[in-house]
Amino acid sequence: MNCVRAGCCTVSLWCWMVGGGCERPHPEQHAAALSLDSPAAAQALFDSNCRGCHSQGAEGAALPLMNKNYWAIATDAVVVQAISHGQGRLMPAYIDSEGGPFTAQEIALFVKGMRSAWGAGAVGRGGGVSPLIVAGDPALGAQVFAESCASCHGSQGTAGSVTDQMYLRLVSDQGLWSSVIYGRCELGMPAWDDALPNRPSGLTVAEVAHVVSWISSQRVAAHDGSATP
Amino acid sequence: MKVLKASLGWIEERTGVVAFVAPLLFHHVPRNAKWWYVFGSATLMFFTIQLVTGVCLATVYAPSAAQAWESLNYIDNHVPMGWMLRALHGWSSNAMVVMMAIHMLQVFLHASYKYPRELNWITGVFLLLTTLALAFTGQVMRWDQDAYWGLGIGAAIADRIPLVGDEVRALLLGGPIIGGATLNRFFALHVFVLPGAAIALVGLHMVLIIKNGISEMPKPGAVVVPSMYRKEFEERMHKDGVPFVPDAAQRDMVFCGVCLIGLVALAAFYGPFGPGGMPDPTIIDTNPRPDYPFMWLFGAVSLLPPSSETAIMLIAPAVGVLILVALPFMSNSGERAPSKRPAMVLIALVTVMAIAALTWEGTTSSWSPVMNGWSSLPTPVKFVRGRTPLEMQGAVVFQFAQCRNCHSLDGLGGKRGPELDDVATRLSYDQLVRQVQQGGGNMPAYGKNLDSAQTAAVVAFLATLHPANEPDSRIPGAQLSVPTDNATAR
Repeated sequence: MNCVRAGCCTVSLWCWMVGGGCERPHPEQHAAALSLDSPAAAQALFDSNCRGCHSQGAEGAALPLMNKNYWAIATDAVVVQAISHGQGRLMPAYIDSEGGPFTAQEIALFVKGMRSAWGAGAVGRGGGVSPLIVAGDPALGAQVFAESCASCHGSQGTAGSVTDQMYLRLVSDQGLWSSVIYGRCELGMPAWDDALPNRPSGLTVAEVAHVVSWISSQRVAAHDGSATP
Repeated sequence: MKVLKASLGWIEERTGVVAFVAPLLFHHVPRNAKWWYVFGSATLMFFTIQLVTGVCLATVYAPSAAQAWESLNYIDNHVPMGWMLRALHGWSSNAMVVMMAIHMLQVFLHASYKYPRELNWITGVFLLLTTLALAFTGQVMRWDQDAYWGLGIGAAIADRIPLVGDEVRALLLGGPIIGGATLNRFFALHVFVLPGAAIALVGLHMVLIIKNGISEMPKPGAVVVPSMYRKEFEERMHKDGVPFVPDAAQRDMVFCGVCLIGLVALAAFYGPFGPGGMPDPTIIDTNPRPDYPFMWLFGAVSLLPPSSETAIMLIAPAVGVLILVALPFMSNSGERAPSKRPAMVLIALVTVMAIAALTWEGTTSSWSPVMNGWSSLPTPVKFVRGRTPLEMQGAVVFQFAQCRNCHSLDGLGGKRGPELDDVATRLSYDQLVRQVQQGGGNMPAYGKNLDSAQTAAVVAFLATLHPANEPDSRIPGAQLSVPTDNATAR
């Protein structure tokens, strides 16, 4: 009886294996083909390509894309532009024509996917301020900085200087603009429309331009001729 | 029937084949020799599979440096079921090594190498060496990057031999470099010399098994006394033994069947090994690995301190083989039961664990940077909260320069370099700048890759990495933080 049972098991095992076919196995083919503009695919792509710097929530050092203001202010075109061609000195270009891993079409779909994943969470006032830098008046900006920024970022502040030369040599003017309008709310840095010292309803659009142009004007050329943004 | 009997009788009268084979099949083996005794047979089965699949492969494989790699791809992709043939040959070689190791472990634990089976053990040791040589030369047959670098390492080890190193390497490679002659040499070894040696050794091993009989299950108190053992053993076998066929053979067959099914399943689901990338020494974007039987060696050699390498690489294998060969002479009588030989059990346990641990180390190779490894992991919240704008930029530079491929933060990241969670307690600001710019201690210099602003930022970030209740590193006279005109109030 035992022999019969063992025989049956053996025969069915062989049938199962032979029935599997004679094709050489290619495990990589089994990877599910995801549509890039779905929130899940966007999240997966974000996790493997962006999260190291941009991260989610409070972690990570660069601008987080789940910021409450980000998807309210940034248009798809601006995000696509930043991903495709890089930003400042530290974000590389991701489009294939500049050596990146993605095609223009993939980047467009990815941005659509991110907006569908996180766009609904954008609760900031948004409207009114441009996602791209606008020129302002440094002299007026000095006043705004002294009144509303210096308590944290000035010489007596605890959040660290934003006029540090090394910092200014790493951050582009667009980067300064983004920092001001989006902030790092999770870490305590308010966005442009949050309550600020002496400005309970935040900055006006013009004040953002003035203060960014003032910070930028504090940048002096590097002595060693190294790159500036 | 009558004709059959007559012709068998005709052959038997002239050759004596039945008289020769019958005692082999029906010799008595211990009644209690149960499932512990199937591993040797399974090893033999895998060896037979190697011979059959190997001959088949040799009909298509082109042992020339220019064509070997292509011919393997041809077998994989164009010969019907050719990939299966290669898969069977590859998986069966690993299975043979594993089964041989288990067999050896069983013989060691049961002390079956004691009188009168010393030579069974020694032929077994030589079979092990031959099998490992077959595995290594087989890896070379793949003629891909793994093969190329495996050979390179083998040649480099040979080169270390004092006085005759050059000559040994030239003999191995067929010249000063790895080339066409090398593949032909290894082909000759893999296909003629080593299988011939293995067949001869298997034959000798079998003759000794028939001559000395299968050892009984060890019993505490049943000591081996050389002067009495053979007579008593033969009496016991005569009285209480069972014929090899069918009593013991049926267990061998069931186990071999299970192994065969396992082998075919592995081959069918995982396919053949390699061939990996082209064996081109100019391609350095490669991560060559030895096959599994040598992974522990790869791990051990990689983890050795450089100063001890030559001595340990050359002496340790020789000492190891010597100990294995000398084992039955060091103790060939007395107790066989593992419970009465705790030291031996401990040695076996430590050896198995060491090989397992080194195999794991070799597989994960924690000493080498993992490219793309952890660059997508975010900087933990505790390392960005309360940081200044410059320090935040430093954290971005830290990701940008892929520091985490070698260094871990909060337990996540490479293991090649030290973890940096509390680096500021070990290095002062100046020392951090120097380390980033000039490298040292296995770390490359980043002075050419990071400019002064990037260095300042990343060092500013690193200087914040110390536990809140522990001060940063203070060295008398050393600069403690960023120069004052850039001072970042913290």
